[in-house]
Amino acid sequence: MKRRDVLKSAGLAGFAFLAPSAWTIAVAQDGSRILTLANPTGFPDLDPSTSFSNDGLVLANVYEGLTRYIPGSGDTPAKVEPVLAESWTTSEDGLTWTFTLRQGVKFHDGTDLTAAAVKGAIERTMKIGGGAAFIWGAVTGIEAPDPQTVVITLSSPQPLDMIAAAGFAAWIISPAAQAQDSAWFNAGNDGGTGPFRIDSYEPGQRVIASRFADHWAQAPDGGFDKVSFEVVEDSVLAQNMLEGGQADWTYGLPYDNLESLKANPDLTVVSNPSFETLFGLYNTKRAPLDKVKVRQALSLAFPYDDVISAGTAGLGSRAYGVLPQGIWGHDPDAPIPNTDLEAARALLAEEGVTSLDLTMTYATSDPLEQVAGELWKANLEQLGINLTLQPMAWEAQWEMAKADPAAAQDIFVMYWWPTYVTPYDYLVSLFRSEEAPNYNLGYYANPEVDALIDSGATLAGTDRAGAEAAFKAAQRKIVEEAAAVFILDKPNIHVTRADLQGYVDNPAYGHVVFADSLSRKG
Amino acid sequence: MGLGRYLLRRLALSALVVLGVTFLVFVAAQVVPSDPAALYAGPRPTAAQIEKARAELHLDAPLPERFASFAVAMASGDFGVSYKSRRPIAQDLRAYLPATLELAAVSTLLALIIGIPAGAMSAARRGSWFDRAGGFGAIAAVAMPTFFLAMLLQAIFAQSLGLLPLSGRLSREIAISAPLETVTGFTLIDAVLAGRFDVLRDAAAHLILPALTLAAYPAGIAMRLTRSAMIEILGRRHILAVRALGLSPARILFGHALPNAICPALTILGLSFAYALTGAVLVEIIFAWPGLGRYVSEAVLSKDFPVIAAATFVVTLCYVAMNLVLDLVQALLDPRVALQ
Repeated sequence: MKRRDVLKSAGLAGFAFLAPSAWTIAVAQDGSRILTLANPTGFPDLDPSTSFSNDGLVLANVYEGLTRYIPGSGDTPAKVEPVLAESWTTSEDGLTWTFTLRQGVKFHDGTDLTAAAVKGAIERTMKIGGGAAFIWGAVTGIEAPDPQTVVITLSSPQPLDMIAAAGFAAWIISPAAQAQDSAWFNAGNDGGTGPFRIDSYEPGQRVIASRFADHWAQAPDGGFDKVSFEVVEDSVLAQNMLEGGQADWTYGLPYDNLESLKANPDLTVVSNPSFETLFGLYNTKRAPLDKVKVRQALSLAFPYDDVISAGTAGLGSRAYGVLPQGIWGHDPDAPIPNTDLEAARALLAEEGVTSLDLTMTYATSDPLEQVAGELWKANLEQLGINLTLQPMAWEAQWEMAKADPAAAQDIFVMYWWPTYVTPYDYLVSLFRSEEAPNYNLGYYANPEVDALIDSGATLAGTDRAGAEAAFKAAQRKIVEEAAAVFILDKPNIHVTRADLQGYVDNPAYGHVVFADSLSRKG
Repeated sequence: MGLGRYLLRRLALSALVVLGVTFLVFVAAQVVPSDPAALYAGPRPTAAQIEKARAELHLDAPLPERFASFAVAMASGDFGVSYKSRRPIAQDLRAYLPATLELAAVSTLLALIIGIPAGAMSAARRGSWFDRAGGFGAIAAVAMPTFFLAMLLQAIFAQSLGLLPLSGRLSREIAISAPLETVTGFTLIDAVLAGRFDVLRDAAAHLILPALTLAAYPAGIAMRLTRSAMIEILGRRHILAVRALGLSPARILFGHALPNAICPALTILGLSFAYALTGAVLVEIIFAWPGLGRYVSEAVLSKDFPVIAAATFVVTLCYVAMNLVLDLVQALLDPRVALQ
């Protein structure tokens, strides 16, 4: 054999050494069934007390809260479902909540779920005080009179069953894990009760979890044994992986690709309303936006349907005020404006406004906000209004808005989604008057609206119908006074492999897959 | 001046560079408008949470005091916690830095073993088909946008031929059924230490496409630089002399000419190695490589200064170390360097 031939065969042998049978796997060598989720972001914080980001995808499968929110659809009303708590009662004044825990629940470390563990878990979260810990802000005391009973007392009436269902800061952690710090959790350890437990965490790459054999609920037939949460930031790569069967689920693919994805028989495109709503807050402290009619005119000039079709491929839906559908307090009959340039012109003339320069700030690299701004700008030009679009990093946009209303933007475009499912979260954050602005970045201040929001909040723990009426009334007022332009409710679009069964979106938890209920066809 | 003194001088200069960078990072953190407390308090903090964070971070302490604690933290290798995730930065760096170093080292090695011999051969056979093809290849490698090359390689080797994995650092198969124990964080080394040749094979396969993508640019440059330096050297009289002595063409080329012509190419490769530590963001994203570039770019976007500072510090150290090694190699190859 000549030297060249030796080299050649060595090269070929090298390739054979490298080429495995296949790089796609749905079933591991030992026969276990694997679910692969391609998540477009990393998992920055796996500490269930402080996590307040995209880690929810992992944590919601590993940890459980006392309750879970199930959104309403059609004629079925929204409800709060028991998880670790089997039942609960509230005192007449709404200040004392008693939860009865489910029997026979084990933590992943083998210890039993007890009232003391629940008390310790919530107290750990409150003590660290990071992330979404503020949801427990009204809690004044937690008692564990017996191993199955947790009594929580509040300083003001709150819908604690819904707070306990939050997707952040409400996870119950085992006593052993409560003693650990953030580094322990972020090294790939967990202390949950959920249907899956974390096997390993490779930062920036993946989390592997496997089914917890002693979970209190029975696993579905053909359910997955392992879940691989893959970090795939590149949407092209995510799409390739899904098309090639290397991933079962992803989101965040460009709207433009959805048609071709829908045509692929191997894939299913799941589109649902989300709890995420997009709006622009008018700077109500600055002339002439302090005049209701001017704000109404701007809202009348907004191209709602065009933005839904151009920005979300027609999948978004009109926003009826700030509360999206599926959240209690949503008002399908709110008097929202429809695009009408003539009516807008008339209102501006009434206020004597003929020309105007406005600045709109929005998040850099958010294509939907940009499209909304550009189409609005085109309409406003016809009314003699020049809209300057100012993309900014969120931190900078927020800093500027908080500093001095007089020097700030005219229109602040942002999204809102609830930390736990309550109208209060949207209304109090965005429209209740604030001395120093935090999220009320339109600086809207209306004593009547404040009173309605507060009365809704007081009633929320005891009289949900009364609370809903108060929140609706507050929202009507906000819509009538055009405190903001309510752009659209964002769609939740997830792409899955077609053979995935049992997939249901729960917008209360954002982009979370409850892997427990899934299985693969065939 | 001997090699020892030369080395000492370089070391002293390096220490100055590291100190200067640390100071600059701290100054930059003060100048750029941002509110660390708001970042630390979480994605959607209440005003009360922000105030609590400000107290926890001692942000109201006087500037010299804060620089002192910052410098101590950097020097001790305890980089504190990320404002954004509150994770210990040292823990994150232990995860991300080896992935990046591994990729940068392999890609630099590839660039070295492709670029320099190819450049030398081109010079030796000036005007031949090899020279022309090499010249074209080098320009294509330098001119092609990284993301395009990455996707091209993925389309050919992963998607249509199925020879190599599309992305990632290790297969899920391995992570799921028999995870590799982390010792050094370098997958190749850990695999050998654990005696896991299945993992070694898998890690090597995952490395090829991203490393090739990253190697293209420096390989092209190194090739052109080596070629032009070699052409000049090959025309010198001492080459004519050794040729007259009857040495084989290969020995003349690689034993006598190349050591004299290699310095510019080595410098470029050293710089591109250092650049790859944080500059490989695109490659890292496209190949879902869990590296430092992605980690740092996220921190930059959210102005997470402790992370930026720690990464800058570590990268500066790598940069300085790399330069030191290069200087040494050059001084060994060409004693005149140490004398300057």
